[in-house]
Amino acid sequence: MLVFDHVSKCFGDLRAVDDLSFELEAGEVFGLLGPNGAGKTTAINMAVGLLEPDEGVVRFADEAFDRNPRDAENRRSLGLAPQSIALYEQISGADNLRFFGRLHGLRGTDLEERVAACLDFADLTDVGKKVVSKYSGGMQRRLNLAVAIIHDPELVLLDEPTVGVDPQSRNAIFERVEQLRDGGKQVVYTTHYMEEAQRLCDRVAIIDHGRLMALDTVPALIAAHGGPGNLEVRTGDGESRHETTDPLATLAELQSRQAVDHFQYLPPDLETVFLNLTGRALRD
Amino acid sequence: MNKIVAMAAKDIHILFRDKLGFFFTIFFPLMMAIFFGAMFAGLSRGPASIPIALVDADRTAGSARFVGRLEAAGGLAIERIPGDQALEQVRRGQTAVLVTLRPGFGAALDNPFVATPEVEMSVDPTQFAAAGMVRGVLLEAAGAELQAFMSDPSRMSVTNEQNRRLIEEFSPPSEARDDLLNVLDQIPRIPVLIDEAGLGSVTTGATGGFGPPLEIEQTQVQAQRRGPTNSYATSFAQAMLWTLIGGSVSFSMSIAIERSRGTLMRLLVAPITARQLLAAKGLACLGATLFTSSALITLGITVFDVTPTSYPLLALALLCGSICFCGIMMVLSVIGRTEQAAAGVGWGIALPFTMLGGGMVPLFLMPEWMQTLGNISPMKWTLMAYEGAIWRGFTLSEMLLPCAVLVAIGVVAFSIGATRLRWDTG
Repeated sequence: MLVFDHVSKCFGDLRAVDDLSFELEAGEVFGLLGPNGAGKTTAINMAVGLLEPDEGVVRFADEAFDRNPRDAENRRSLGLAPQSIALYEQISGADNLRFFGRLHGLRGTDLEERVAACLDFADLTDVGKKVVSKYSGGMQRRLNLAVAIIHDPELVLLDEPTVGVDPQSRNAIFERVEQLRDGGKQVVYTTHYMEEAQRLCDRVAIIDHGRLMALDTVPALIAAHGGPGNLEVRTGDGESRHETTDPLATLAELQSRQAVDHFQYLPPDLETVFLNLTGRALRD
Repeated sequence: MNKIVAMAAKDIHILFRDKLGFFFTIFFPLMMAIFFGAMFAGLSRGPASIPIALVDADRTAGSARFVGRLEAAGGLAIERIPGDQALEQVRRGQTAVLVTLRPGFGAALDNPFVATPEVEMSVDPTQFAAAGMVRGVLLEAAGAELQAFMSDPSRMSVTNEQNRRLIEEFSPPSEARDDLLNVLDQIPRIPVLIDEAGLGSVTTGATGGFGPPLEIEQTQVQAQRRGPTNSYATSFAQAMLWTLIGGSVSFSMSIAIERSRGTLMRLLVAPITARQLLAAKGLACLGATLFTSSALITLGITVFDVTPTSYPLLALALLCGSICFCGIMMVLSVIGRTEQAAAGVGWGIALPFTMLGGGMVPLFLMPEWMQTLGNISPMKWTLMAYEGAIWRGFTLSEMLLPCAVLVAIGVVAFSIGATRLRWDTG
């Protein structure tokens, strides 16, 4: 299990991560949701041992003992898909997988089986022998994800895996993340798209300016911080918007006064949670 | 117009924001200006003298006078050492030219009507430019000797008497004997006739009607060879050096590319230590540079008849050269963080060092301090090691110095680069 225990990290005067604490649970997709510059990538870099916390501890809490991710050996249990497409474009997709597989100690038939499984996972079996530079952006994104799991890690960290991809490819990546969860992996998923966090994540940590603002399941976050929903109605007098926690009762009351031609209920979501917690929109 | 100005201003702003670009735009040309200015004009004592070894095999008053004239002329740093030793110095590249005054030199100098003084020039094949300048100084000194002779009627009279006796002893047919004696009678009058004709200023410093004042036989100094020798032996040594330079710059770019594309991060997250990662990079660079330089010399051997004097020493030189440039690669890769920067830094450093090492401009053109500075150039030592194994015929003990320097530079540079890279990547 990945544990952040009161972790802080500064770059000069900038406090990129500030007293961040959380603990992953078995088999969950854990979302780190925040705007650009919130500290998500810094947290990921500390999780994989690329950065050392200035304060606090990051560890893999094992049943028997704690392991430091900065110890190279402990990195066998984690896989990272960086935000950028970190692949060797001059070699084939299969060779990329083979290379990173070897770095993780895979050899012979074990390696070939994993390469085949990862190509299948990324839906790239037919083009596995093609050089990566010939792949579309979506295919490269899927391969970027597949390389992270070539060694079948316990924990997979996905740093904004849908940046710059079209809606179709985004859906394909969502399906793969769900596959990972169904396969029992722990997944840390950073994003600034609340729709992604809402769809994929079992629990979401909302961070802003490096600080943890709230952490819970999506429904619990919405219940605690989402506030009322909005009922939009159109009548003969025009359109109006009504905050409500009971949309049916509000609609009935409006109809009792005047005929409603059209209505739409907008429930609270993570966007409104973020707005209520920070006073600004997620995409500001 | 405003749009054009805005776009131009933007480009200039970006140029000055890019520190490395700024460096290559302003400081690098400045460095080049100082470098060439120092080299050609001389910042302190001017260009250094050409180092030559001189053997006076004649040992006469005439040859001693000629040597004195050479020393007084300047431009040559003359070392008087025994012939075998001098030849070895040229072969090792420590001296550009060996000048040998052949027996009979002094006699010919004092009697230009009978013989031409003969000089042998044994030249380092990589120092043809220096040899050309030495040839010029020799001819100038011989011309001055001839002019002094022609301007001195008493010397000409003595020589005439000698020649008259020779003619009498030789007893040629009477008609030829009369003609020769007649010519001898006219010779002392040549300066007077020149003056009378008003040709003094035209002939000053020239050799009159006597042909070249010096007979120079030039040979290339190379080790005893098993096979034929040709100019490719020297050009391939230089080409191999450029292979190393190109290889190290390319590899430094590859680390920058890994950094910018994110694969370096992926490697650092893998269960490998930074030490293993650096070792892999070093091994790849070593393998690639070793392969390319070996391939090049193999081509030289098989197609261009280049015949190394020692294959084991060539292998040693190739290995040490590659070790050195792998270290340099590591330093370049941490200085240039993007691929463009790595390439710029790589060539920006390689070119001055190549110049300092004598890879572009003959070393003798540089002031002494610059030649001393050239000793820190890995290019100089690489070239020395390659040439030592290919045509200079270095022994193992002679090869140890350049190889030790190359390995030392490689180890120090690799350590600096590796430490910096590990620090950079956390």
